[in-house]
Amino acid sequence: MKVILVYDINEKRVTKVLKTCRKYLNWVQNSVFEGEISEAKLVKLKMELKKIIHEDEDSVIIYTFRSAWYTNRETIGVKKGVQELII
Amino acid sequence: MKRSIYIFSDGELKRKDKTLCFETKEGKKYIPVENTHEILIFGEVTINKRLLEFLTESEIILHFFNYYGYYVGSFYPREHLNSGYMILKQAEHYLDHKKRLNLAENFVSGAIENIKRVLIYYANRGKPLNETIDKINSIALSIKDCESTEELMAVEGNIRDEYYQAFDIILDSEHFVFEARTKRPPKNRLNALISFANSLVYTTVLSEIYHTHLDPRIGYLHTTNFRRFTLNLDVAEIFKPIIADRVIFNLVNKSIIKPNHFEKKLDGIVLNDKGKQLLIQHMDERLRSTIQHKRIGRHVSYRQLIRLELYKIQKHLIGEEEYRPFQSGW
Amino acid sequence: MHPTGTLIWYYYICPREVWLMSRHLTPWQENPFIEIGRLISKESYQRDRKEIRLENIVIDLLKTEGENVVIGEVKKSSRFEKSARMQLAFYLWKLNHLGIEATGKLLFPREKKKITVMLTKEIEDELEEAQQKIISIVQMETPPPARRIKFCSKCGYQEFCWS
Repeated sequence: MKVILVYDINEKRVTKVLKTCRKYLNWVQNSVFEGEISEAKLVKLKMELKKIIHEDEDSVIIYTFRSAWYTNRETIGVKKGVQELII
Repeated sequence: MKRSIYIFSDGELKRKDKTLCFETKEGKKYIPVENTHEILIFGEVTINKRLLEFLTESEIILHFFNYYGYYVGSFYPREHLNSGYMILKQAEHYLDHKKRLNLAENFVSGAIENIKRVLIYYANRGKPLNETIDKINSIALSIKDCESTEELMAVEGNIRDEYYQAFDIILDSEHFVFEARTKRPPKNRLNALISFANSLVYTTVLSEIYHTHLDPRIGYLHTTNFRRFTLNLDVAEIFKPIIADRVIFNLVNKSIIKPNHFEKKLDGIVLNDKGKQLLIQHMDERLRSTIQHKRIGRHVSYRQLIRLELYKIQKHLIGEEEYRPFQSGW
Repeated sequence: MHPTGTLIWYYYICPREVWLMSRHLTPWQENPFIEIGRLISKESYQRDRKEIRLENIVIDLLKTEGENVVIGEVKKSSRFEKSARMQLAFYLWKLNHLGIEATGKLLFPREKKKITVMLTKEIEDELEEAQQKIISIVQMETPPPARRIKFCSKCGYQEFCWS
């Protein structure tokens, strides 16, 4: 499935969250990740994030789409990270 | 679904912060380790042992290609799936002449069947291919009489000759003519495309074999020489027409790939980076496209279809179900 | 050949899996249910986590509650409770033979549910029979034919069986 993840995390923990997200998804721009991942991997990612964040202070929002077909991505301004097949 | 990553830039691929990182002069790019199943390397890439250990742990295969786009070899991490039973079965079917011939015959007839599907597809779209199809049918009759894998290879070779001649009818392009099959180096553009696309099918099948209990070193049609991978070559025969060739036809017929995507090198012609990337993009898309699978009851991608083919081979080796190669539905 | 706890578990779901596992033809590891299951048993109950190996059995959790030894087995869902119960009973029976009296707890962390398992004469007889059947399945030349059951849609062998 297609996933878009955004977060708002206390400075103390933000690097840890960033590093964790990088293992599963592609960095898009500050605090935003996206990618196509399996259901199981998403569960795994959520488990890892839960262990890092303080639920009373930090927040992570995950949008999921069953298929990338129904999403459209438009950039205004500087083009930042995209899911690249060829690097 | 995990993704394939293709590296064309020069740089260093390394382990960083528990994931993969590709560092070039322009900066760092992180590759999500949990979501990658193979990496194909075309650029000048530096790696170290720490990375190889990490890839082994993460079960990610590396495939290397040289400057001209020729396949050089793979880093096939210590096999994570191991079944002594399956390896013995594989060997048993190799050592027994009849059993080996039966499998080899299946790979050849599977290849021919899918070659015919491709031809029929274009015949239905008005291309005059009936003569080729008839010729192939009549050559295919001799498969039954083959008593060795060499003879089978020869029959397949004859069929491929006919088939490749038909490329000129399917493509009808002044820039892409077949002439004769030439390899290492390919002598013209179309041959360069065929060689590169085929090598991508070989590595794709190898990556899928890695996720089964089969040993890629024991092939049946292609003689096992105890040195390199051969089972992937066998299975690739079945998929080359419907994956590689169909992509080539699309790219040429829609003029996506053009003469300026090639360059003269050595004594022949090879794809330049832009050309290779175009082919890769479309092959990757093709492998991720899905078709309905009746018995499984849902859509499966062409990549999964390759794995299913390997499962069918396993079931044949176990002795529970005669192997029948996949036939394209269209 | 000594049946393992895992084979007992599989036996009550699908005999074909018993045969395949006995040849180390492991299921597709990226199957989402297998992956999630692996995660749950790895992440849950870490405090009591002491993987214990005895002969050919592996026990997920072990703790003492007063005088009692309690062994636990972590499962993803209670859908296959029978399988899970028999697997744990098998461990109790094995321990019993080593002179250890224990009780079993089946743990379903996702459902916040626990089931206590005790060894009875009836269960012992059933285990005895299951082990005999497992041995005869394993001795078969080819696997028991694939049969479509509810579990198929979640099984790591699904693609193998129906390819």
